[in-house]
Amino acid sequence: MVKINDELKQILDEPDTLKVLAVNNREGVPHVVFKGTLHAEDNQFVFYDLLQSSEINKNLVNTIWFEKKLAINILSKDRRSFHIVGTPVKSVTAGKYFESVYENIQERFGRDTDLNAIWYIEPEQIQEVSFAYRQAEQREKFPILAHLDQITRRDDDDE
Amino acid sequence: MSINEKTHWREKELSYDQVIDKYPDIPPILALKIDVSRRGIAYTDAAFAKVDSNKHHVEPFNYMIGHGKQISPIGLFLRDGSVICQGHQEVYDWTYRDPYILDVVDDKLVIVDNDRIFEEAKFWEKPDFYDKYTSNGTPMREIASARPQRLTIAPATKCHFWDVPKEGCKYCALFSAHRSANDEGDIRDDKWFSDVTETVEEALKQKGRYASFHMTAGSTLSGKEIFDDEVDLYIKTLKAAERVIDAKKFPVKLVASAFSKKQLQRMYEETAITTYTTDLEVLNKNLFGWVCPGKNRLVGYDEWKHRLYDAVEIFGRGNVDCGIVGGVETAQPNGFEDEQEALNNVLTEAEEIASHGVSFADCVWNTLPGAIFMKQKTPSLEYYVQLALGLAEVRRKNGLYIYTDDYRRCGNHPNTDLARID
Repeated sequence: MVKINDELKQILDEPDTLKVLAVNNREGVPHVVFKGTLHAEDNQFVFYDLLQSSEINKNLVNTIWFEKKLAINILSKDRRSFHIVGTPVKSVTAGKYFESVYENIQERFGRDTDLNAIWYIEPEQIQEVSFAYRQAEQREKFPILAHLDQITRRDDDDE
Repeated sequence: MSINEKTHWREKELSYDQVIDKYPDIPPILALKIDVSRRGIAYTDAAFAKVDSNKHHVEPFNYMIGHGKQISPIGLFLRDGSVICQGHQEVYDWTYRDPYILDVVDDKLVIVDNDRIFEEAKFWEKPDFYDKYTSNGTPMREIASARPQRLTIAPATKCHFWDVPKEGCKYCALFSAHRSANDEGDIRDDKWFSDVTETVEEALKQKGRYASFHMTAGSTLSGKEIFDDEVDLYIKTLKAAERVIDAKKFPVKLVASAFSKKQLQRMYEETAITTYTTDLEVLNKNLFGWVCPGKNRLVGYDEWKHRLYDAVEIFGRGNVDCGIVGGVETAQPNGFEDEQEALNNVLTEAEEIASHGVSFADCVWNTLPGAIFMKQKTPSLEYYVQLALGLAEVRRKNGLYIYTDDYRRCGNHPNTDLARID
């Protein structure tokens, strides 16, 4: 299992960070949703699913049942992006801890907001995929992967 | 001699692993739940040592005899958020299969069979209201019970189908302490209804705990028309609960006798119920007469079905549910000897009934002390898996929902667990 580092945990906690979860349904069709409550606890990603009838909930159940994988993307305010592959390992649907999260959710989003499940995802792969980062990486590892016009001599090149 | 050495049951049916391989659509964790429900689960001393009656849900009243002398939690959580509605089960001389074992490994509760760890489990937690008392001095735990997300009230603890000896359902161990003809069950007077109001009010202070209000009871046959007094009892109980529940329609799961259309109309108009469940138990007219003789003599299989269809007219498609005791159609000597024949029979009849808008909730038949069928042999895991998958497909094909009896609001039905991914 890979480690969720402190920098990523901090990015996850910033309010402007976008967090996207992609999970296939039982027919293998991907379904993508933004999940604002996604955060890290210990070394797992955790988020709160609010609707029992949601597509993401059904797909996550299918994923945990048949030991499939899901993907997460995190985009920070300064456009750094992280791709994560993981496996849902636990769904908490009742109990004292569930109730404490339920009350917290109601405080944040209002009394009519429900809580369906707390999902725990174990990361198997975490990779920075920000454009600048990936571009530099590709140029370093695979310099052949570029159009030739990018390496033609330009007027403003130094002699 | 172990049970397996005595009966060699493991050599006579597909193993868990073989069933998983043969039926890739069954989630392995659900197959385990089915198998635990079928074979039972026995706690080791280490598992019992983990029980904290201040924290875990143990039942003071033994609705289902079978826990033996030790106080046992009544259910387990699994890691997918589903539940196993079963506590410790004693092993008796007639037990045909070894039960699973609930043990402790690395300080965690685990479900074990043949020294193999299958899953981690957790005990259900005790409801907050369980240690409280009503203003009448009644322990609230005597008024209501619970599952992890369901509050349950049993208005009648006597099933009057047992008034005629052996006319109760043969698989049933519920309320088996109240079967003698002169036992009327617990008294439901004004004090009790007041206790219901206070208990429901107290229970709902535990925010996030309950997603369903469940009522069920033994059948009451008396009244001008059969079940009239049962209808009265449910209406009074619901009205007692409605004194503290604000919503016009709140999620009530009523599991009751097969009421007439007039009685159903009355329930619908006078209370907040939105769904209705009445159990045919076994989907075969001839076997119904043998397995459920009281129901058969006083209502009959065709009339029971007809009343389910009447209920759909009142509550709508998908809001009427029919419970079955999956597997009891193989009870001997009158049941099907061939599992495939039994399965085809059940699913064909289920398809016909579902086409009228009725959903199904499949309980795994387990032989418990207190039941006439306690020494019967239940079917194979393969049978139960095929039944769950088949009933799930029947529901899907007919476009029916089953939220009223799903993994959260009940948790005891493999086929409705499968609805989690629909």
